[in-house]
Amino acid sequence: MMKIENLKANIGSKEILKGLNLVLEEGKVHAIMGPNGAGKSTLSKAVTGHYEIEITGGDIVYKNRSLLEMSPEERALEGIFLSFQNPVEIPGVNNAYFLRTALNAKRKHEGKKELNAAEFLRLMKEHLESLGMKSDMISRSLNEGFSGGEKKRNEILQMLVLEPDVIILDEIDSGLDIDALRAVSEGINKMKNGKRSFLVITHYSRILDYIKPDYIHVLKEGKIVKTAGPELVAQLEAEGYESIEDENQ
Amino acid sequence: MKLTALQDKNVDELRMLLGVDAKKDLLLKKLSELGMPEIKNEIYRYFDTQSLLEKQYDRIRFVPKKIEESDKIEIVDGIIKTAPKGIRVYYGEYKEVDTAHFDPLYYLGHLLVSSVIIIELDGDVETEILHRFTQPDTLIAYRLVIKNQANRHATVYETFEGAHAEGSLVLYGYDMHIAKDSSLRFLKNQTMHNREYSMIASHKISVQKQANMVYKSFDFGDASALTLLKAELDRFAHIEAGHLLYIAGHAKRGIVSQIIHKDEHTTSHQEAKNILDDNARGIFDALVKVEPSAKYTKAYQNSKSILLAENTYMIAKPQLEIYVDELEASHGATMGQLDKRQLFYLQSRGISQTDARKMLVMAFANTLIEKIKDARHQERIKTSFEAAFHASNKAEEHLPTLLR
Amino acid sequence: MPQKEIDKAVAGEYRIGFQVDIEADTVPPGLDENTICFISAKKNEPEWMRDLRLKAFSKWKTMAEPHWGHVSYPPIGYQAISYFSAPKNPPQSLDEVDPKILEAYEKLGIPLEEQKQLQGIAVDAVFDSVSVKTTYTEELNKHGIIFCSISEAIQKHPELIKKYMHSVVPMNDNFFATLNSAVFTDGTFVYIPKGVRCPMELSTYFRINALNTGQFERTLIVADEDSYVSYNEGCSAPTRDENQLHAAVVELIAMKNAHIKYSTIQNWYPGDETGKGGIYNFVTKRGLCLGDNSKISWTQVETGSAITWKYPGCILKGDNSVGEFYSVAVTTLAQQADTGTKMIHLGKNTSSTIVSKGISAMKGQNTYRGLVKIGAHAQGARNFSQCDSLLIGSECGAHTFPTLECKDSKGYIEHEATTSKISDEQLFYLRQRGISEEDAVSMIVHGFCKEVFSQLPMEYAVEAKALLNLTLEGSVG
Repeated sequence: MMKIENLKANIGSKEILKGLNLVLEEGKVHAIMGPNGAGKSTLSKAVTGHYEIEITGGDIVYKNRSLLEMSPEERALEGIFLSFQNPVEIPGVNNAYFLRTALNAKRKHEGKKELNAAEFLRLMKEHLESLGMKSDMISRSLNEGFSGGEKKRNEILQMLVLEPDVIILDEIDSGLDIDALRAVSEGINKMKNGKRSFLVITHYSRILDYIKPDYIHVLKEGKIVKTAGPELVAQLEAEGYESIEDENQ
Repeated sequence: MKLTALQDKNVDELRMLLGVDAKKDLLLKKLSELGMPEIKNEIYRYFDTQSLLEKQYDRIRFVPKKIEESDKIEIVDGIIKTAPKGIRVYYGEYKEVDTAHFDPLYYLGHLLVSSVIIIELDGDVETEILHRFTQPDTLIAYRLVIKNQANRHATVYETFEGAHAEGSLVLYGYDMHIAKDSSLRFLKNQTMHNREYSMIASHKISVQKQANMVYKSFDFGDASALTLLKAELDRFAHIEAGHLLYIAGHAKRGIVSQIIHKDEHTTSHQEAKNILDDNARGIFDALVKVEPSAKYTKAYQNSKSILLAENTYMIAKPQLEIYVDELEASHGATMGQLDKRQLFYLQSRGISQTDARKMLVMAFANTLIEKIKDARHQERIKTSFEAAFHASNKAEEHLPTLLR
Repeated sequence: MPQKEIDKAVAGEYRIGFQVDIEADTVPPGLDENTICFISAKKNEPEWMRDLRLKAFSKWKTMAEPHWGHVSYPPIGYQAISYFSAPKNPPQSLDEVDPKILEAYEKLGIPLEEQKQLQGIAVDAVFDSVSVKTTYTEELNKHGIIFCSISEAIQKHPELIKKYMHSVVPMNDNFFATLNSAVFTDGTFVYIPKGVRCPMELSTYFRINALNTGQFERTLIVADEDSYVSYNEGCSAPTRDENQLHAAVVELIAMKNAHIKYSTIQNWYPGDETGKGGIYNFVTKRGLCLGDNSKISWTQVETGSAITWKYPGCILKGDNSVGEFYSVAVTTLAQQADTGTKMIHLGKNTSSTIVSKGISAMKGQNTYRGLVKIGAHAQGARNFSQCDSLLIGSECGAHTFPTLECKDSKGYIEHEATTSKISDEQLFYLRQRGISEEDAVSMIVHGFCKEVFSQLPMEYAVEAKALLNLTLEGSVG
């Protein structure tokens, strides 16, 4: 589905990713774990084309195309979705209006008919209920004044509506209480269809109790140093990231 | 002399009237262009200069005396009397007069003096400047220059005495040069009483690369004074300006300032708290200008005012003039009375109205007073503030309850 | 102005002296007593009106053009402007309107016929200084509402004009208002009688067309006790290279419990990116809340003109009266706008709200200038102001110059202002969801202006949004 080859990326003049290799398989859940400052969020930014990131080497190949020349919106329209760690507030922009614009941009891109307001609201209603979100959420300004939990639920709502092919979840569990975590993970698990790939970026293993990973990748100092099955979580829990040696060396 | 005589004059006329030589033509030109303060002049609009400028003043003959050693710099009627050991205080010529100051009296100040008082702060020093005014009905004009050293951190604490200077007008001001990578903390504590002097102070502060300027003024009392301040920030320079005003009687007092961000990564923080009692008029007219060359600027400006009495009058003009998009800038201003609910809450706990008011007024002022790092200076300013509070409350006891 | 002519004016000789060809459709450029008498005669005005004009003119001659605004422009040649031009053959009914004129209106999105039928809006269209068509008069007549051109009102309702004209904006208020008082060519008059709620949105589109004609409209709206009216003024002008001076005066008067809502969409020709061409829009707009509990709301969306210089204000004289000002001002290309409001609190418990959103792009310079004044007798008066600026690009400027004056210890004023650019983080978030950069910018800008747009009547809000997109097209990137 996506192949990241020897990716090198800077933020400012500092090199964060130092030759990262990763293959996302179709229909699988990949968890990226690693200590603070390892480059986890940088990876999600590199894949989505964030303005802070300068790619200095390597490539990201997705659906047989290099992502690097694509604008952020092109990548999104091709099915890449990032659930932000800290979703930004945009005052005055109506949540429903925003999401309908995004959805219709995607539908147009795919040659589908755009949804009118009534059709869209019907769709939203369904999803809101499943996420335990109040209906007034969609008439509020985008993320403005939302609590941490509301912001994360709103991210998942967008994911459900946009139906992406690759879903990147950046610290999705941070700031969530147990009820919110359950609702959010249910939303995510509902998206599993054997085709979609998931990239779960997390510092703690808690979220992995809810979203079962197929692979665990340990990211340290800008590289994937170890890839293993879900059994690795227990070792990381017990021994921390210190214990992991770079298996490529 | 009468300063109104200088109104609407050209360079030649001004040169004659002020008795200066052609070397000062540039300053004369600026004074002529800007014109003497009058009601139409936006920066002097709310401060009644006319009555001050119309008055016939005596002038003091400039006779420098031998400078004695003491723990502080004492300047009496513009003449250096004492200076502490290790700080160079002397008369000299000043060649770096700002050629683009907004205040005509900045130029008049420089034109009225034959030499300026230069204070060189060498090393990490702390000093105190006491200004004393002793002559009644006199125009007391002098200028000071402060220079500190690169990489050094200095503090200047400034106070005033003017018990015998009834009816005098003081025109003074600083040109401050804050050297690269240095810091200067400047604290002004000025209580002015009615039947003393009035003052117009005109400053220019140049904050050089990576330097940090702290300018805090604590203005109390019931006499009139206006401070005009222009500060320029070089790359990575920072200024923190704080102005506490607590005035009563018929005082007209406040600040007109321009903080100019000239280069990248400059920051400014300006905060004014104004407390007005009796018939006092408060002025906060502050411009923050961000030039096209000053990307990544951060500018914050705020003025809060409390009107304690019926006949007070507050004017706030917080202004942003911005020519660059990479920045963060905001300003705010509020004015109103003490919060009635807070007042009631305190009174319902058995605190007298006077004490409750004092408590709230203190709390309002404290955000500025408590930011003073040095405990001794903080204590002295607190004392001045409380004295001002008592002075204005004593007067109030004679008023009918309704007006309190 | 040569001394001879001043002397002539003072001596009153001009009355005998003037000779004009009232058959002409356009007066040659220039301004003197003759021009004014020509305008007055052309409009069949009564003598008192002509005298008022001449009085204003003699005052104007003693005044100097103000230059305190944060704008710069080459000197205006007042003698090079033609002060009157009428379209040929003034039509009596819609059918007689020149099809070309109707076509031009349609391009601007104001098809008279359609609006008449569908939107229930009465349109008093001003085309080059003369009102060409007034619609819906009959329906309004039933309610006793007067909605007509100011020229007609001068003829038919002299008592109202005499009483209220110059009562809010005095004849010698400022240079441009005084000029207008001397040379105004047409405009709108509205009177809403006691207890009447105007059943429809009233609307006027102004349009400057002929080359080198200054446009000096005069609008007067009087809302009597317990009445309500919503008035919309939309403006647009075709591309012209010459700068065209526009100096309108708008006066609003709200009696006890009356409410006037005045909305403006202004998209006159802004000139090009070098500052060549475009309209100079020097307007005096002021509302007087005369009666207790009255309310005046100004809403403006300003995207056009090379230079805008206007401060729609409210004098809150009646106790408990309310003033509101909602503004979006966009400057792009080389536009300069110096705009804001004045809220003068005189009555007890008066309150005012100011929401100003300035957007600067390309080389645009946008200044908010406001005055909030609480007088000594305005006990319990309150004001809240929010002035935000959005910068798009590194060559533009955004300036905020409020003056806040409080003379009443029970008054309360609160002002907040921020200046920022569109954050990269917001832009990225929207683009990550598949929204194009241009749409994302437009979405953020609309969000920024939302509070103001929500004050506009629905169909105008839609138009304002479209206009904003059009204006900002190409200024991003």
